[in-house]
Amino acid sequence: MGIPSVPMVTKAFRELATLNAAKRGMPHERIAFTPHPVWGKTPDELRAYVEGPDPVSGKPLMKEVVDYLTVPLSDDEKKSGEVAVSTGPATYGPDTPKNLQQYYLDNGMTDYLPIIIPTEEAVEEMLTGTSHKPDEPLGKMAAGAYPPWTYTVRHAAINAVMAGCRPEYFPIVLAIASSGIASLFSSTNSFAFSMVINGPIRDKLNMNYGIGSLGPFAQPNATIGRAWTIMSKNLGNGGIPGDTYLGSLGNNLNYNNVVIVEDEASSPWAPFHVQRGFKPEENVVSIFRGLGVVPGQVARGSSVNTSPEFDKQLSDLFSTFTGFFGALVIADPLVAKRLKEQGYETKEQLIQWFYKNTVQTVKDYKSRNYAYLFDYPRALQGVEPYASWYKMPDDAVIPHFPRAESFNIVVSGGQTNAYPQAANMSYGVSVSIDKWT
Amino acid sequence: MKINRRKLLSLIGMSPAILAGASSSADAETQAQKKSKAAASKQASSSEYKVVGVNPRGVPPPITLIPMAERLPTLDGKTVYLVDTGFHGSDALLAQVAGWYSRNMPSVTTVFRRKAGPYAEDDPKLWAEIKENGNAVIMAVGH
Repeated sequence: MGIPSVPMVTKAFRELATLNAAKRGMPHERIAFTPHPVWGKTPDELRAYVEGPDPVSGKPLMKEVVDYLTVPLSDDEKKSGEVAVSTGPATYGPDTPKNLQQYYLDNGMTDYLPIIIPTEEAVEEMLTGTSHKPDEPLGKMAAGAYPPWTYTVRHAAINAVMAGCRPEYFPIVLAIASSGIASLFSSTNSFAFSMVINGPIRDKLNMNYGIGSLGPFAQPNATIGRAWTIMSKNLGNGGIPGDTYLGSLGNNLNYNNVVIVEDEASSPWAPFHVQRGFKPEENVVSIFRGLGVVPGQVARGSSVNTSPEFDKQLSDLFSTFTGFFGALVIADPLVAKRLKEQGYETKEQLIQWFYKNTVQTVKDYKSRNYAYLFDYPRALQGVEPYASWYKMPDDAVIPHFPRAESFNIVVSGGQTNAYPQAANMSYGVSVSIDKWT
Repeated sequence: MKINRRKLLSLIGMSPAILAGASSSADAETQAQKKSKAAASKQASSSEYKVVGVNPRGVPPPITLIPMAERLPTLDGKTVYLVDTGFHGSDALLAQVAGWYSRNMPSVTTVFRRKAGPYAEDDPKLWAEIKENGNAVIMAVGH
């Protein structure tokens, strides 16, 4: 812009603001810090913030702001040019496996669980899982609003080794990496991510879509999901607390994400990848992102004592979800079959019912965090349906989700009971796994 | 293929001593002592085994340095834009900043604007307005 500027940032984001400014080319940016937080404070409390000291520098805050706008620039602040960034040596060691294990952990390259040390030999073996050349560019990834990092097939192989993957799993890992989506995201929200896997590869790899399908009961489910998180750290520079990760509580699902393998044979409906335009014989991984997973048992009307109405149960479950993300139903085959008995011949019919019958008042809508942060600014820009919703009276009833496409349904589980789960997650993209074999 | 359990355990940083079985004899203490010595010996052997690990990190982009905008000689008589990014409380904080200027530097004109769109979206229209009408910017990112 060419105009002197000063960002005012709360103290909690000191590292984030400073490092992000540096990554974007202003390592000496003059940043003024206020106490944290500012939300929920009274005018008198905020006045005290403004009239008090910058909690980082200790100087009077507003005098500092005035100085930042008027004190002439130093030579460093005027610098231009390009600075190379290094991630360190190409190899570590030779050292004992124990020491190397600690080295990877201490340098933030793991999920803080033991890894398989990625020796050259192990990486070469992993690369036998694909016909693609090791140096082939694979993608770029950023764990937030940062300049993305780039990586090759070989980089992904190194991370797949660390996560404990077998070479035959590697095409799925490559498909995920090629999406460029990091499963660790720089936000205070503690986001969670998920993947849905479809196609014959499910059985070829002995992936689990039966009892405990979302749990730690199968090597491919466990390690492929884990590889995504480790890649998000090492390929996307994600997961550095205070820098590229800010989730206040974090999310336990980030350890290996939510790996959902659809039970295509037991499902009464078309598989998810077929809904997305792929052929049944194609192998596909589909990526979702959002907040988390909740069990259907907490919904009103969730007793299966008589004739369960899972459509109403799930709709009740969605009532706490934010419409900013979608609703991903993970239906045990028993639930899916019952829903078909209720008359839903296709997933699309059920989705239309969800969209029409999951509703809220405008008052409730406006009280939601994401409505204020994301929908209200869009409403001010005239983006629909938000612009119309914000003009309606508080007691008007509107859809809970902005569009029918917010809903997605997959079928998985061991049929030990008719329990669905649902994730407040949006569909992102589907990627061919076959392309990476 | 024969599994080299010792090597596998070492690769994940675990002591191969775990391969030693539990004692069930009456002279458990003596057996335990013997096993402890054996384990220590194996540990020493393990510690001599060394491998080379590969750097798993991708390639960061180079940083292109951006010279900062020249500062103003003074704020007297200048127009300072107060830009709210849309995070909770930013507007209320900037209202207090405006109040501070009116009390302490009354010759400064402050103009409040909420940046269009969600917080992460660019707002070139506002930047153009500021360049046309403003002399400085304070942007509050809240939380």
